[in-house]
Amino acid sequence: MSLIGSLLMVSGWLLALAALLLLAGLGQRFTFVLAGLLVELLGLALIAQRYRSLQRGTE
Amino acid sequence: MNLAICLLCIILVPLATAGLALIHQGLGRSRSAAHAMLATLCALSVTAIVFVLIGFSWAGYPSGLAHAVQLAGKHWDWLGAEPFFAAGLRSSLLQSPYAALVLALQIFAVGLASLIPISAGSDRWRLASICASSALLAALFFPLFTHWVWGSGWLAQLTPLFGLPSFIDTGGAGVIQVIGGLTALSVAWILGPRQGKYSDQVAAAIPGHNIVLVLFGCILALIGWIGLDSAASMLFYGISAVQVVVIAINVMLSAAGGCLAAVCITQLRYHKPDASLSANGWIAGLVAGSAGAGLLSPLATIFIGIVAGTLVTFLVEALELRLFIDDPGGAISVHLGAGLWGLVAFGIFGPATGSRSALLLAQLIGIATLLGVMLPLIHISHLLLNKLVRFRVDKDGDWQGMDIRELGAGAYPEFLVHADEFVPR
Repeated sequence: MSLIGSLLMVSGWLLALAALLLLAGLGQRFTFVLAGLLVELLGLALIAQRYRSLQRGTE
Repeated sequence: MNLAICLLCIILVPLATAGLALIHQGLGRSRSAAHAMLATLCALSVTAIVFVLIGFSWAGYPSGLAHAVQLAGKHWDWLGAEPFFAAGLRSSLLQSPYAALVLALQIFAVGLASLIPISAGSDRWRLASICASSALLAALFFPLFTHWVWGSGWLAQLTPLFGLPSFIDTGGAGVIQVIGGLTALSVAWILGPRQGKYSDQVAAAIPGHNIVLVLFGCILALIGWIGLDSAASMLFYGISAVQVVVIAINVMLSAAGGCLAAVCITQLRYHKPDASLSANGWIAGLVAGSAGAGLLSPLATIFIGIVAGTLVTFLVEALELRLFIDDPGGAISVHLGAGLWGLVAFGIFGPATGSRSALLLAQLIGIATLLGVMLPLIHISHLLLNKLVRFRVDKDGDWQGMDIRELGAGAYPEFLVHADEFVPR
């Protein structure tokens, strides 16, 4: 889950970067960069969830 | 650029380091106090040496040498290419002191960033692995992002690359605070909570041992922050010496906003102001305000500080109670949470020459880079490092305290020893 989370975070950044390279309109770029950030947050949530369950299990 | 004022500001930066060290030490347990301070000195020593040997070469500075790649028909400046070991720095001093000033500031800045994870790993992070992690920070994480933002790297060149305003971080909210905060998050995940923190799935409060030191550290940090924000603004954004006065005013206002917000929020929620959370609010204000110090209006700075202080009180609780992240000093909330807010806030309140949305977009791209590139890089590097140099102290050390376990003597030998502190849990 940690690896998938990390990959999702990198994917989110690539999405934001691709928006800058491929799109010209400010609105389109803004939307895709926000989408990239959401993907990154999803990845972060996955990693956080993984450690949360690990730490709950050890106590 | 006024050399004397810039130099004076750089000399003030270690006071921010001293302030953070006192805050972290005071918020930790008495049984690990000496260890926390020694870890601070070791981290500062390791980062200074490693940064001069390797890091400065990759961090570089504006108009310095850099590695670049051609991608999609665009010229991407992604890494500095200055000589290793800061070679040639002394001879270049005769022509211009600029590179030497940048190096001096960055040595202190990387040292400051290295202290942030020490707070999150307090009471259980071994000294050897603290040094190893600090070396990684100074050799790789910090130089990489610093070059992109402060070294005329691709984030500073969003205008020629994509027709957007540059990503702005005048005082290091992203470069220093968020990078340190992401490292702190990774360290806290890997180390896990202190023994006894989550007995029976309930978070036990483990209060700091010296709140006076914490509050004194806040005042020291204020002076250091004025120096840090001023020096970075002058060196990387060409802010004049006269504008340092505005920076000093804004730094004070952001800290004041953060502290008062935390005092009011804790008064409302717990019926008494919480000293440690208020101290965290003060530092959160400083952190958030540093993204645009000198470029923001006093009113905007107060608002940014208030939001940072409010955010921190809720984030500390959310991390501890919902995500089971044991962060004794609240470093993740203060440096990562408030740092990210500061970067976004600059996009909202910063001076926009063109479209406001374009400025906000540039700031969001910087944040996406921090979360999408730097966090995975930092976390995977730390997971590998943990295999080589174990991060967490053994079970006995956990209840015995880091002072006795790693240093062989306590910080306060004349104090009474409470028997329950030495009962294995």
